[in-house]
Amino acid sequence: MTRQERTAFAFTMPVLAIIALVFVLPTTLALALSVTDYSIYALADWHNLRFVGFGNFVDLLTTPLFWRALGNTALFAVLGVPMAIGASLFAALLLHDRTVRWKPLWRVALFAPYVTSIVATAIVWRFVLGTRFGLLNRALAAFGIPAIDWLGDPHVSVFAILLFVTWKIFGYNMIVFTAALSAVPQDLMEAARLDGASRLARFRHVTLPAIGPTLLLAAVLSVSGFLQLFAEPYVMTLGGPAQSTTTVLYFMFDEGFKWWNLGQASAVALILFVLILCVTSVQTRIGRCYEWL
Amino acid sequence: VVDRRRTCHAGAVERTGHAHQVTRRAFVGGASALLAGCSRASGPAPLSMWAMSYQGDYAPMLMPAFTAATGIPVEVQSVPWTAAHEKLLTAFAGGALPDVLMLPNGWIDEFAMIGAIAPVTRPDLIASVFPGVARTARVGGRDFAVPWSVAPQVQFYRRDILAEAGYPAPPETWAGWREMARAIKRRRPDDFVFLMLLNWPDALFTMLGQTGATMLREHDTRGNFRTAQGREAFAFYLSLFADGFAPRALSTEVQDPVAAFAQGFFAIWPSSATTVYDFTRRRAEIPAHLWGTARVAGPRGPGPGSALDISLCVSATSRRPADAWALIRHVTSDASELRFQRLIGVLPARVDAWRAPQLASPVIAPFAAQVRDTTPTPLIPEWERIRIEVQIVAERMVRGLVGLEDGLAAIDTRVDHILGKRRTLVQAGRIA
Repeated sequence: MTRQERTAFAFTMPVLAIIALVFVLPTTLALALSVTDYSIYALADWHNLRFVGFGNFVDLLTTPLFWRALGNTALFAVLGVPMAIGASLFAALLLHDRTVRWKPLWRVALFAPYVTSIVATAIVWRFVLGTRFGLLNRALAAFGIPAIDWLGDPHVSVFAILLFVTWKIFGYNMIVFTAALSAVPQDLMEAARLDGASRLARFRHVTLPAIGPTLLLAAVLSVSGFLQLFAEPYVMTLGGPAQSTTTVLYFMFDEGFKWWNLGQASAVALILFVLILCVTSVQTRIGRCYEWL
Repeated sequence: VVDRRRTCHAGAVERTGHAHQVTRRAFVGGASALLAGCSRASGPAPLSMWAMSYQGDYAPMLMPAFTAATGIPVEVQSVPWTAAHEKLLTAFAGGALPDVLMLPNGWIDEFAMIGAIAPVTRPDLIASVFPGVARTARVGGRDFAVPWSVAPQVQFYRRDILAEAGYPAPPETWAGWREMARAIKRRRPDDFVFLMLLNWPDALFTMLGQTGATMLREHDTRGNFRTAQGREAFAFYLSLFADGFAPRALSTEVQDPVAAFAQGFFAIWPSSATTVYDFTRRRAEIPAHLWGTARVAGPRGPGPGSALDISLCVSATSRRPADAWALIRHVTSDASELRFQRLIGVLPARVDAWRAPQLASPVIAPFAAQVRDTTPTPLIPEWERIRIEVQIVAERMVRGLVGLEDGLAAIDTRVDHILGKRRTLVQAGRIA
């Protein structure tokens, strides 16, 4: 080993050690837990712990609530990712327009929900979404739409949560997109305009290819974010009504920490990990096709 | 999207007065002052205590007397019910339990089994507690907790709404309840009669207790909900929602049940004694002459009901068990229990304390009758989870997502699954 390499190791060792301690070790332990029946009985007495192989996974696949949680999570991701990214991109495009004034003010206002405490905002949104006195139902009533039980009807609760999540997180990607949009080459834009390209055509052929890599990044992060949705249903609906907003992570939290079935919960974590890995690899493949990576 | 909770608080950073700039010395000084404040060089370290809900909010008011008598300060932390179970278990696993903790009696068996709580060392602490309540604090013949308060369910009713429908007081049978509900619903079609929140299992389990359903079988290792009694209770529970007498609502939707009761959103509310305190505190919204209490109606008149009784335990890892037991002795004394009753309405677990004149009011009388008539619940670690899982299926039944028979079958399957580990351990003779 050369002196230079030794120095490099000396500098990276502390970080590597920390990563090994707080990331690799717990992940390995979780993996090990997922093949045991660690439950409250094992917490009481280690002798009650048994090796069950793939028992936890088989168990999970026969648990209706796990499938329901998986379905809910898929629904959240399929609807939520386009909704959140669409809202971010739309807001970023609006803010990017030359005619908009007080841009910093708008940026701050739209970014504010992202950095506001989730519990505080959830309480406000629960009032907004209230069936009887909620602002949203009042507004809908003005158009003659009957009151909707946003947080109580299992068929609409997902949309209520999505509305809240989108409002809460779109500011982050909006800032990212604003940065990407400012890098769109203006000479290309001018040329397209001179050639008579419409607004839509300019967006499709000039803006979109330029912000493609950013879009991919936002999509990857949003998908993994939505697949790990937890806090919003936890504070808004406690997973209800009728488990319609119980996500995989919520299910894992309940199993693991509420009931201390850590074996089962680790199995859920592993499945979620594989799931996110698959979706992300598909996304990167799509990204490669468009040469965004 | 994932919530990254921050529990630490920013340290108190001192600013130098004139320059408005944080100097390094001021920062270090501030930080060391903070550390000194945490370690508290003089006097004994405070005892820690966790309690849920109102008990947690108001227990500090019982502490000055204790600190004055013993010189031991007490730090009380209030824990919300919805997060209590996971917080306590996680704290046990992490070795961070407080000296004294509050547990609902249904959890005592579980926490005793995992070795989180220490057995009661002084028999006099249990001496004058209601025998039925003391029994639920016992695990394997040993007392593990000191009952603090009893919380039998009674029905709170709106006198004016019932009088309008021709009822001076609510009926005591299920059939009578339904008849009254029809009369009220005819007059107030937009409102409801009962409030039974779909994520709180108490109402359903009270009904199951009243029909005498034995919910588990084979030494509490299998579900037993498909019995005549179980069906009767479920059918009645579901009918209240199907007929529009009770709203299909979760606790997250009825954020302020007291206000909803005051507005006449519902007329009957099965609840426990802290509701008396809520109503008294908010008498501007709901004056005392508008409401009353009565025993919960049963299939054939009032009967044994479930209760959310509360006990205090000393954690097995407490370094100062003697001080901790002294604290429990103080807060469960007759005087403290009666003070607590005046503060937040909770009812004392000691028989002697019930002789006090403050408990002689007619509003309390139904509680007094109900407290002597409770159903024994299975004392197994999984019971809390079973209650919640049963309620989850019950909610699906209420919403019409699954029928009565399929729902009951699903409950039995689910309960069998939850009790799987217990079954193997019982069969292997590892637990009784």
